[in-house]
Amino acid sequence: MPRPGVPRPATREFRLPNGLSVVLAPLASSPTSSVWVWYRVGSKNEVPGITGASHWVEHMLFEGSPRFPKGAIDRAVVSVGGELNAFTSTDFTAYLTTVPREHLDVPLEIEADRMTRASITEAEVARERTVIHSEREGNENWPEFRVEEELFQLAFRIHPYRWDPLGRREDIERLTADELRQYYHRYYGTRNAVLVVSGGFDPRATAEEIRRKFSGLPASGDDPNVTLVEPPARGERRAELTGPGTTPYLEVGWRAPAIRSPEAPATLLLELVLGGETRLFSASGGWGHGHEHPSSRLYRALVDPGLAVRAVTEWQPRVHPSLFTIQVQASRGVSLDRLEVAVDSVVERLAQRGPTVEEMGEARVKVRRGAALAYEGASRTSFRLGLFSMFGPDGFEDEIFRAILRTSREAVRQRAREIFSTASRVVVRYQPTGGPSGD
Amino acid sequence: MTDPRAPLTLEYADSVGELRLVRQPPPAGSSTCSITYVGPAGWAFDPPGRGGTARLVNQLMTSAAGRLDRVALARVLDRLGATLGHRAAPESGEITIWGPTSEWGRLLALLADVVLRPRFASSDLARARRQIRERQLREIGQPGNRADRELLRAIFPSGHPYSETGFGSPRSVDHVARSDLVRFHRAHYTGGGAVLVATTPVSSREFVRAARRTFRELPTTRPPDFPALSAAPSRPAVRSIPLRGRSQVEIRLGGRSIARSDPAYPAAYLANEVLGGRPLLSRLFQRVRERGGLAYHASSGLEAMRFGGYWFAQAGTGRERWRRVVPMLRDEVRRLGSVSIPSAALATIRESAIGEIPLALESTAEAHELAVDVAYHGLPADYWIQWPDTLRALRAEEIRDAARTALDLRGAATVVAGPVR
Repeated sequence: MPRPGVPRPATREFRLPNGLSVVLAPLASSPTSSVWVWYRVGSKNEVPGITGASHWVEHMLFEGSPRFPKGAIDRAVVSVGGELNAFTSTDFTAYLTTVPREHLDVPLEIEADRMTRASITEAEVARERTVIHSEREGNENWPEFRVEEELFQLAFRIHPYRWDPLGRREDIERLTADELRQYYHRYYGTRNAVLVVSGGFDPRATAEEIRRKFSGLPASGDDPNVTLVEPPARGERRAELTGPGTTPYLEVGWRAPAIRSPEAPATLLLELVLGGETRLFSASGGWGHGHEHPSSRLYRALVDPGLAVRAVTEWQPRVHPSLFTIQVQASRGVSLDRLEVAVDSVVERLAQRGPTVEEMGEARVKVRRGAALAYEGASRTSFRLGLFSMFGPDGFEDEIFRAILRTSREAVRQRAREIFSTASRVVVRYQPTGGPSGD
Repeated sequence: MTDPRAPLTLEYADSVGELRLVRQPPPAGSSTCSITYVGPAGWAFDPPGRGGTARLVNQLMTSAAGRLDRVALARVLDRLGATLGHRAAPESGEITIWGPTSEWGRLLALLADVVLRPRFASSDLARARRQIRERQLREIGQPGNRADRELLRAIFPSGHPYSETGFGSPRSVDHVARSDLVRFHRAHYTGGGAVLVATTPVSSREFVRAARRTFRELPTTRPPDFPALSAAPSRPAVRSIPLRGRSQVEIRLGGRSIARSDPAYPAAYLANEVLGGRPLLSRLFQRVRERGGLAYHASSGLEAMRFGGYWFAQAGTGRERWRRVVPMLRDEVRRLGSVSIPSAALATIRESAIGEIPLALESTAEAHELAVDVAYHGLPADYWIQWPDTLRALRAEEIRDAARTALDLRGAATVVAGPVR
C-alpha cells in the first residue's frame, strides 16, 4: 500500500478545449477566494538582447487593455478589499489576486482579459522603463543581489539561467514596446497557462463561470520548453567583486539537478541537513527562506564558532538543472579565505560520511510537518497547487513527498559527493571597499 | 457553516496575576494556533549606555530556555512543526509561538519556558552581538536602513524613546553583559502591563486553566514607567546622506504623529491610506509611479503606538530622479491636510480598507496579528467588528483635519540616502 501523500484540499481539475488548465479547490469556510494564473513562461524563454522581457510583460499586464484601461485593474480589485500582485521567476510567471469571496467574479474577468488582450502601448512602456530600472537599482543596493547575479552568470554560459529575471541593465534600456508585444503574444495564452482558484465558492457555478469567461479565448501560446543544455563545467569558476557594503560575503554554487530529476529528493534532503530548510516543504507554510536554523550543519560549523553571522543553503526547485548554493556573511575580522576553507570542510565531511541517522530523521520530520501545514488559507492553497502544476503532471507533489521519505542516508551521501565536486564549483567573493558608507 | 468572521470575536478571558489573557478562535478550517506574550520590554527601556539590550534580550529569549540549549530548542520546534518568533519595538517586546493545534498544550508550555526561563548563555550572547553589529553596519551603509534611522533621529530629539531603532552602537552592545540581560528580563518580562494572546480553538476556560498552570511563576512586579516624552516641537530638517556606489536613493519624509488611543486615529488611518498606505490606489503610488514613472516603490505609513507615534512618506528612486520625487511627496502631504478628499475617492479607499478584513482571516498567523494589536492597545473586544462602521462614519472634513494633526508637514524632516551627490 502506498504511503499517504500530502494532506491537501480536494480539487476539481479540467481543461478547456483551447488548452487552458483549470484547478479548483473549494474551501467551504474560507472568507476569501484566491485566483492565480500561472504561465510556463519566465526568463528561461528570453534571449540576450531581450533579457527582462518576462518581468516587463508582468508589469505591463497591470497597465491596461481596451476593456480595462490603465488603473482599472487596480481599482477593481483594491476597491473591494482585494490584493493583487505578480512575480516572475526563471521558469514561470504568476498573477495572483485574493478577494473577499463574494467578489470572485472580479479577478476572473481580469485574468480572462489580460491573458491575450493587454495593450502594451509605447507610452506605457516608456513610462515603465524607469520603474523597472528603479526596481533593479533597489536590488543592486544589496551586495547579495550582485553576488548572486554574478554567480549565475559564471555558472551558465549557454542556458538562460545565466541572467536574472529582472534582466540586464542594457536590455532594460533598449527593449521596445514592439518586442514586448511580440514576446507577450508569442507565449501568453491558454496553452501555457494554469488557472488556479481556491476559496469559498461553489465549484459547479465557478466552473461554469470560468468556461463562460475563458472558452472564447483562442488556443494560443508557443511551446515554452527550452531545449538548450548547459554543457558540463570543466573546472572551477570564480569571481572577486568589490563595492559598497558592510561585511565580506561569499557565495558558492554547485551544479544541481532539476526538480523532476530522480536525484531531486536526495538533493532536497541535503539542503535540509546542511541549511535546515527547504522552500518546498516549509513548516511556516510560506515560500520564505533564510531563517536561522541552529541545528543545521552549516549553522553549527560557521555561525556558532563565530566565523559567520549568517549562513544559508538554497536549492531552488527549477525546471532545468540549476545550482545548489551556500551563502555566507562573514563575521567581523574573519577573512573570506578562512570562510571558504570552512565551507569546504563542511561539505567534504558530508560527502564523505553522509548525514547522521538523527539528521535524516529531523529532515524527514520537517518535510512531514511542512507538508501537513502547507495548505492553510485560499492564497497559500492556490500558490501551492499552481507551483506544483508548473513542475509536472498531477500528483507530482505526492510523488516527490513519498520519494523524499523513502530516500536513504546513503543516497544523500552519494548526492553530496556528486554535487560538491570542485569541477562544477562556482565561487563569488564580495569584498566591501571603504567603510560601510562606501567612503 | 462556520462564520468565516469568527476570529474577530475576541475574548478578554481572565488573568494570571497581572498578566491579562486574551483568546480568539482561529479561522475556520485552520489546523494551527498562535500564542503571543507581549509586554513593556521595548528598547525605550534600554539602560543608559547599554543600547541594544532590549533587542538582545528579545532575540536571545528564543535561543535557549529551561533545559533546552539552542540546538535542543531548535530540534523540539522542528519536531512539533512549530516556529518561535520575536519582535521588539520601542515600547514592547513580543514572543510568538505558532504550530499545529494538535500540539497546543506543548506550544503553550514551550512559550512559558521561553518567557520565564531564558538561558542567556554567554556563547549565545557572543553570537547575538556579532549579528547585531552587522545590523548596525547595515544601518550605516544600506540606503533604506540608513534613511529610516536618520528620519527618526531628525523627528525626535536625542534621548526620546522613539528616536532610535534599538540596535545601539558598537560600544553599547559590547558593554551589555549577561547580567544586564538577566536584569532587563527580570524587570520587563513580567505580568505587569503584559498580555498573553492565543488564537486557538480551545475554550477560554481551558486556555485560562493552561495559562495559570504554565505562567504561574511569572513575576507580578510592575515594570518601570515608560520614559517621559519630550514635548519639544520638531524642527524641520533636511538631511542628505551620500552613500557611494549605491544605485538607488531612498527618500523619507516624516514627522511626529498621534498615539493609537487618540480618538482621531481612525480618521488619521484613512488619511494615511489615501496618501500612501493603500497599495496601488494611494496618491503617492499613483503620482510617483503610475503617472510619473519615477520610482518602483512610493508609499506612506503611520506608526501609532501607545504613547505617541510618527508618520512617513517614502520612495526609492534613481540618482537622477530623486530631486523630482521629494517635492511630490511634500505636495501630496500638503494637499491631504488642506483639501477634503473627493467623496468618490474616499469611498473607494474606505471600502477597500473594510473589504480587506476577510483577507486577514485567511490564516491563523494573520488573524492572530489582529488580536495582538487589539489586546496590546487595550481596545474593545469587538474592535474589528466595529471597524467598518467606524470608518464609514468618518466625513471627508474629519479626515482632512486629522491629516493636519497626524500627518503634519510642519516640523517634518526630509532624509535622502544613497548616491545623492
